[in-house]
Amino acid sequence: MSTGLDNRAAGTRAVAWIRRVQIASVVTWSLLAAVVIVNALVQPTFFTLYSITSTFATFVPLVFAAVAQAIVVIGGGLDLSIGTIVALSSVVALKVMNGSDALIGLGFLAALATGALCGLVNGILVAVVRLQPLIVTFATASVFGGVTLVVLPSPGGAVPPAMSQGFRLAFAGVPVPVWCVLAAAAIWLALSRTRFLRHVYAVGGDALAAFASLVPVVRIRALSYVVAGALAGLAAMGVLGNTGSGDPFIGADIALDSIAAVVLGGIALRGGRGGAIGAIAGAIILALVTNVLFFLNVPTTFRELASGLVIIAALALSVLTTRKAVVR
Amino acid sequence: MSAVPATTDRTAARLRQAARNPVVIASLIAIALVVVGQLVSPGFGSYNQIISMLRIASFLGIIAIGQTIVILSGGDGIDLSVGKVATLGAIIGARVMDGTDANLAGGILIPLVVGAAIGLVNGLGIVYLRIPPFVMTLGMLGVVQGIILAYTGGTAAGRAAPFLTELVNTRWLLGAPGVLFLWVLLIVVVTLVLRRTRPGWNLYAVGSNRTAARLSGIRVNATVIGAYVASGVCAVLAGLALLGYTESVFLNLADDYTLPSIAAVVIGGTLIAGGVGGYLGSAIGAVVLSVLQSLLTTLNMPESHRTIVNGVILLALLALYGRQRKLRS
Amino acid sequence: MSLLTMTGVSKRYGGVRALDGASFELEAGEVHGLLGPNGSGKSTLNKVLAGTVNPDAATIVLDGRPVEIRGPRDAAARGIAAVYQQLSLVDSMTVGQNLVLGVEPSRAGFVSNRASAAEIDAVLERMRRGLGPGVTAGTEVSGLSPGQQQLVEIAKAVLRKPRILILDEATASLHRDQVNLVFEIVRELTAAGTCVVFTSHRLEEVRTICDRATILRTGRTVATVTVAETTESELVRVMVGDVAQPERRTATPSTDEVVLRVRNLSAPGVHGIDLDVHRGEILGLGGLQGQGQSELLLALFGATATPSGEIDVNGRRVTNSSVVRATGNGFALVPGDRGSQGLFMQRSIQENLSIVSLRRRLLAALGISMRKERTVAEDAVQRLRIKIGGLDDPVTTLSGGNAQKIVIAKWLLNEPAVVLLDDPTKGVDISAKAEIYSIIRELSSAGVAVILNSSDDVELAELCDRVVVLYEGRVRTHLVGDEITSENLVSAALLIGEGDQGTVEEQPAAADGGAR
Repeated sequence: MSTGLDNRAAGTRAVAWIRRVQIASVVTWSLLAAVVIVNALVQPTFFTLYSITSTFATFVPLVFAAVAQAIVVIGGGLDLSIGTIVALSSVVALKVMNGSDALIGLGFLAALATGALCGLVNGILVAVVRLQPLIVTFATASVFGGVTLVVLPSPGGAVPPAMSQGFRLAFAGVPVPVWCVLAAAAIWLALSRTRFLRHVYAVGGDALAAFASLVPVVRIRALSYVVAGALAGLAAMGVLGNTGSGDPFIGADIALDSIAAVVLGGIALRGGRGGAIGAIAGAIILALVTNVLFFLNVPTTFRELASGLVIIAALALSVLTTRKAVVR
Repeated sequence: MSAVPATTDRTAARLRQAARNPVVIASLIAIALVVVGQLVSPGFGSYNQIISMLRIASFLGIIAIGQTIVILSGGDGIDLSVGKVATLGAIIGARVMDGTDANLAGGILIPLVVGAAIGLVNGLGIVYLRIPPFVMTLGMLGVVQGIILAYTGGTAAGRAAPFLTELVNTRWLLGAPGVLFLWVLLIVVVTLVLRRTRPGWNLYAVGSNRTAARLSGIRVNATVIGAYVASGVCAVLAGLALLGYTESVFLNLADDYTLPSIAAVVIGGTLIAGGVGGYLGSAIGAVVLSVLQSLLTTLNMPESHRTIVNGVILLALLALYGRQRKLRS
Repeated sequence: MSLLTMTGVSKRYGGVRALDGASFELEAGEVHGLLGPNGSGKSTLNKVLAGTVNPDAATIVLDGRPVEIRGPRDAAARGIAAVYQQLSLVDSMTVGQNLVLGVEPSRAGFVSNRASAAEIDAVLERMRRGLGPGVTAGTEVSGLSPGQQQLVEIAKAVLRKPRILILDEATASLHRDQVNLVFEIVRELTAAGTCVVFTSHRLEEVRTICDRATILRTGRTVATVTVAETTESELVRVMVGDVAQPERRTATPSTDEVVLRVRNLSAPGVHGIDLDVHRGEILGLGGLQGQGQSELLLALFGATATPSGEIDVNGRRVTNSSVVRATGNGFALVPGDRGSQGLFMQRSIQENLSIVSLRRRLLAALGISMRKERTVAEDAVQRLRIKIGGLDDPVTTLSGGNAQKIVIAKWLLNEPAVVLLDDPTKGVDISAKAEIYSIIRELSSAGVAVILNSSDDVELAELCDRVVVLYEGRVRTHLVGDEITSENLVSAALLIGEGDQGTVEEQPAAADGGAR
């Protein structure tokens, strides 16, 4: 083969690669860069270790929830119950650990199991009973929320001291919350190399084609909710580490924010496209927008409208650009 | 052949059909709940108690009008912004009325226009930007919440006009307040619009099969946008009725009505996929939910158990009516 | 011994027999064609073999042992792979991911890309001439042209190393070079012992690649021939059979008055179509299915994006830029798939009948008078002899023929000037068919311009005054009056005696730019 052809092939390969990196993720990363720069401008202490620790600490739960939501959405579903799964897992783990440092490991296991179990309920209802995901998870959200209140009727209880203190430490010069975000990314990167996730993409992209290619569609769909539930369990441990105590109402905003993060991250809600790294960026954008509005001294009463409009604008931008990337 | 067995056959068939009709099922559930309530706590089924439960149900019922229409329009139609829009309607209404009947007309019309505008934006985004309905209305929920905070500055001001309060809280005819008669009127009007007007039939057609609707010369986009506008208007109407009930407003007055409004529609037998159902069912669904709430309260069931029961009931009914087609090659 | 025999294969869809005791035999290492006119059951037979259709009865013997093929998974396990015209690729994934979808090599749950990379690259390299230089394992499928996607689909089947490969119209979207490439690959496969079942609307392709061919007619096997020893006219005669020529309609006095005049109409799937429909005339659209007939009707009806060309009705220029406009201009379309395009399944018969023409009978431009609706609906039911239980029953209670009559009736209530019928008797039983014929005849005698697309050649011969035969989106042949016979229709559809069979639509491939 001539080298000329090789070069041309390399060129088209580069074009294909750029096309694959999709316009949507360009939007995501530009938004992230913009938010970080603005934040650094309005908050001079932004890059200090203390500030990074506390900023990252607040959005660790959302980062894990966003990865969970990303998996479900890529598979063509939706999980509005992620927030209450986080709440339920956190109160169960809190009870299991009972404030004792020795039981932290058991707490992690309890949170993971609770989350996975909730996810299994969703998965069975959506994939096997074949109910519409939006309404199912709306309904299970209220069930899980109720169970949370049964386990812990009012905010309180103490997280093992090693956990809440450890969450504020730095490890090898890098704050633990930053490690947590990196761990979320690492979990995603590992998952994205599995056969399971490959099939999740196929089911979300075109369930009929996947079925025709002998992908076990029902099992994959159900499993995507289970994995999401387990990740919500990890988010719950982040919540406990950050707040230091239990709160049955903690999950209220997480479900909607995780969906916003997913859309901001360039994941098509139709399913089959995007990746959770984008969703992590989306979660960070959401958290930093609130931060920026605070340091800009926007009056509290206007803060919510401002953040609502910023998010809507970003959503519209993401939705519009993903559409353009799809239309040939 | 004699006519008698034929008639009994037909009666039996009709009975069987009725037993499968969600409206009948929902009505029976409502009646059963009242009977259980009366047994557990005598007085639960008294006339006054029933009227008072129906009054509470009317707020949810009016919100459910819009939710029914949006769900009927198909295409995964749903409006998650209704609760907040109702709250905003009440807040604006209270401000404009400011406790006097003189401002009543403006206090009703201005919020209704705002509600219609919000619905229009929802519809335009869904149809022309092709944003999925739940994302669009979810985003709208955030924006409306922001508008509420910006508009009120964090504290709600104003009061309901006395006429409005009277409409909702004063017994008028047969010991029932005016709002109940208004609701009954709305049930009749909405049912007539759905069953006996061209927009109504077009709505069912669009919800049942969008391709066939387009190929039958129906303006699908206009019908869908219209559904979301109707939803915004109905939400505001319910917000105003709630304002009459509470007289002064809170910043989260009607926020918790969104999930129940969807539940009422599902209990009433309207297909989540669209195209089948009606408002009478949703109205009865609203009654079922309200009676259930009072019953659970009477039973001293804690909030936590109540939300669990609500969720499980919704899931059970969904599994009964709302299953999707199996994946076949 | 033959590798596979299928005997007594029967399948009914509702009242229609798609397969009626068909049989079929495959030798190892051969390319076996399946031939037959529209509706002869080729596709159904393929699907039975691939496990996607459950037959009502069938005896399948593979390697001398009787087997039952219970589903696609079962078929795959027995080494049967199928490629259809509609694709089973996931658009949003890459070529490489699609090629190994469902059979990804993995270790401890992790996909090992390295294990499959060599295989993927090899098969892509084999397809290189057809794919163009830009297509790599990392290219997203959505960026490929239809022809390139079809090649990837074939590659996907080949990668699974089947013993029996079914190619069902799998070459339809390919251009000539790509078809040749597929043939080379097919020959390599058969040399290694695989056998290939081949179906194509291009007879020339069947004659090029197939060793033997089985000919089906109305769900039955009528002959198995050695292709090289059979002439085209013999093939056509076997396909058509010795059917008595149907009673031709008594020629209605069609006038020179043109009701519908179409010039240079182009839309997705159709190119530069000219048509004239005279008063009192039924114009037929012939050819094999999927050659642009439905697309032409949809374009006339304003239902496809951006059609170009001129349409005149009774000398008046009309712009059918949307269905709403077309309906206003007096057009009506009975669409090809009544379930998904024509009917509101969960709604009542009454509503289905009224919906199009409601606005003619409104009270105060809004309200519906049920009395009026009942009257017109009952009248239509009677006039079209539709058998229903009651007007309030859902349309799902109706048989295929009666459901189709509902779709026709809803348009007749709107008093159209131009009626477009897309295969109106598909899946309809004999008696309803005859009744639909008489409705169509009445329409045309009443001065309505009728265009009828039909997959049934006998139907075209029986009903139409003129037939245009379409091939890949263009008008290929005009048949008038007595020229409309099943034999002529089949020959015209297969382009026999045309000489220029090679005029195949070139698919401009996105990444083809720098090829060669």
